[in-house]
Amino acid sequence: MASLAEVASAAPANAGAAARRRVLTGRLLSYAALLIAVILVLFPIYWMLATSLKLPRDILRVPSLWPSRFSLANFEKLLADGQFLLSIRNSFIVASTVTVISVIISSFAAYSMVRFRYRFRGIIGRLILFAYLTPGSLLFIPLSIVMAQLKLGNSLTGLILVYLTFSLPLSTWLLQGYFRGVPRELEEQGMIDGLTRFGALLRITLPLSAPGLAAVAIFTFTGAWNELLFALVLTTSESVRTAPLALNYLITSDVLPWGPLMAGAAISSVPLMILYFVAQRFMVAGMTEGSVKG
Amino acid sequence: MTISDAGPPRRRLGSGLKLKLFAYALVAPVVLLILGLVAYPFFFAIWVSFTDMVIGSAGNFVGFKNFEYLAGTATFWAAIRNTIVIVLVSDALKLVIGLGLALLVHQNLPGRGLFRSFLMLPWAMPAFVAFLTWRVLYQPIGGGINLILNQTGLYTGTVDWLGTRNTAMASVIIASVWRGFPFWFISILAALQSVPKELYEAAIVDGANTWQRFWNVTIPSILPVIIVTTLLSSIWTANGFEHVWLLTAGGPSDATMVFPVLAYFGMQTQRIGEAAAVSVYMLPVLAILVLFATSLMMRREE
Repeated sequence: MASLAEVASAAPANAGAAARRRVLTGRLLSYAALLIAVILVLFPIYWMLATSLKLPRDILRVPSLWPSRFSLANFEKLLADGQFLLSIRNSFIVASTVTVISVIISSFAAYSMVRFRYRFRGIIGRLILFAYLTPGSLLFIPLSIVMAQLKLGNSLTGLILVYLTFSLPLSTWLLQGYFRGVPRELEEQGMIDGLTRFGALLRITLPLSAPGLAAVAIFTFTGAWNELLFALVLTTSESVRTAPLALNYLITSDVLPWGPLMAGAAISSVPLMILYFVAQRFMVAGMTEGSVKG
Repeated sequence: MTISDAGPPRRRLGSGLKLKLFAYALVAPVVLLILGLVAYPFFFAIWVSFTDMVIGSAGNFVGFKNFEYLAGTATFWAAIRNTIVIVLVSDALKLVIGLGLALLVHQNLPGRGLFRSFLMLPWAMPAFVAFLTWRVLYQPIGGGINLILNQTGLYTGTVDWLGTRNTAMASVIIASVWRGFPFWFISILAALQSVPKELYEAAIVDGANTWQRFWNVTIPSILPVIIVTTLLSSIWTANGFEHVWLLTAGGPSDATMVFPVLAYFGMQTQRIGEAAAVSVYMLPVLAILVLFATSLMMRREE
């Protein structure tokens, strides 16, 4: 880095060796610090997996860092009655539907905001940003009343509708940034070649923003997969529970069933971990451009 | 706003009116849904906070009664204090840790991409999974933390981390920092990567040492990002529900009670008016943070 250049330019041989040693020590210290940070980051994840693979009776009686006997008993117990699988399925339905709806209509909105100039555009932009920052803790009470009035309480449809409150503003906000990067000349060229405006949006702008659409889709899916508060307030029956809810009700029982709890945690992480590894680049870019909460 | 954003209306691409209608039609679904699902509930919540609404009844206007009632409870004051502590302490820690790690990873170290991926992992996990895992880690018997302390000989007793008043708050904050620092880390790392190299070269020519370069070049360059990150993270931390709910549910005896959990409890007791008042109490501070964040984010967008 800079210090190397500085050293190479002026220093005599002796000082050069000392500086090189200093750089080397600096590197070693950096690696040591990073290694400690990584261990601290990984330990809880390790603990989740290790606990989920321990024999249920060993978890309390034989506390150990490493499972003395590996067992899938916790997974079997969790999955035995099918309720947890049902909640995973519900989570999939809700998260995918929210993602599809959200990406489609927010890409239309973002396109309109970026490509056209009209009255209220500034106000709409602000409205979207305000909506993005409005906390769910303020909205969950009135939304539960509204959903009850719409007869959508305790239903996956209600959850989907409510999850749009955080996914739409975020998607629209992020997509505006991506669409701005698409040169409008390309669209105009397409329109001269006979595309309609809408055709230009579908055939030119959207394909060119594919990484942005992917990032937005992943964020939406993640947000819906993670959501607990609305789900807690809006649903009552077991048949419409999402994955976070199913695990929440495991901890509100008298005795914490740690093994199955960690098995459920591990299973619930799988879809997001897959998304993370497949699309890490998009996610990091999207996160830094649009300031996205996890 | 730049001109390329929205050029002059072009006749050959359709008449101005048609184009305008098209533009409005595209943006309409999002606007209607936001008005219906965010703006209306937002104002409705404020109205509800001034009523004695319970589940199943419309409620009457009662003025500031809910607010006065809440201000007379110890739990409410605990929620204020705890929310402030959690926001200040956990975001300060996230800033320091995120900045430190970003500076380390930003160096030209071999393998830094790998470190970056690993350090992002807490953020890639679902929040509820992260906090449930920490809950298990904190358990007095069989929890990973006591086990490590005992096996390394650092401490031989058994601590009920989440069940003891003295340790509950720190435990919540540590878990929250673990889950939340990657957002800071990656934002700051991106900001560091966009600082022009020429600034450092100029500083070296002027004879600035490493520390001076950090204070006079790095920090001013990444300050806007740090400010936006601070605002956003504070808003999210203040409104976070999962970290407290899944770890302690506000206990033991209100030691970790925060606003969103208090509002949820209010909801459970079916006294919606009071529950809404809890959330509305946060509104003034929140509004200031949101307004700041909005204007900064709008400016950066342009």
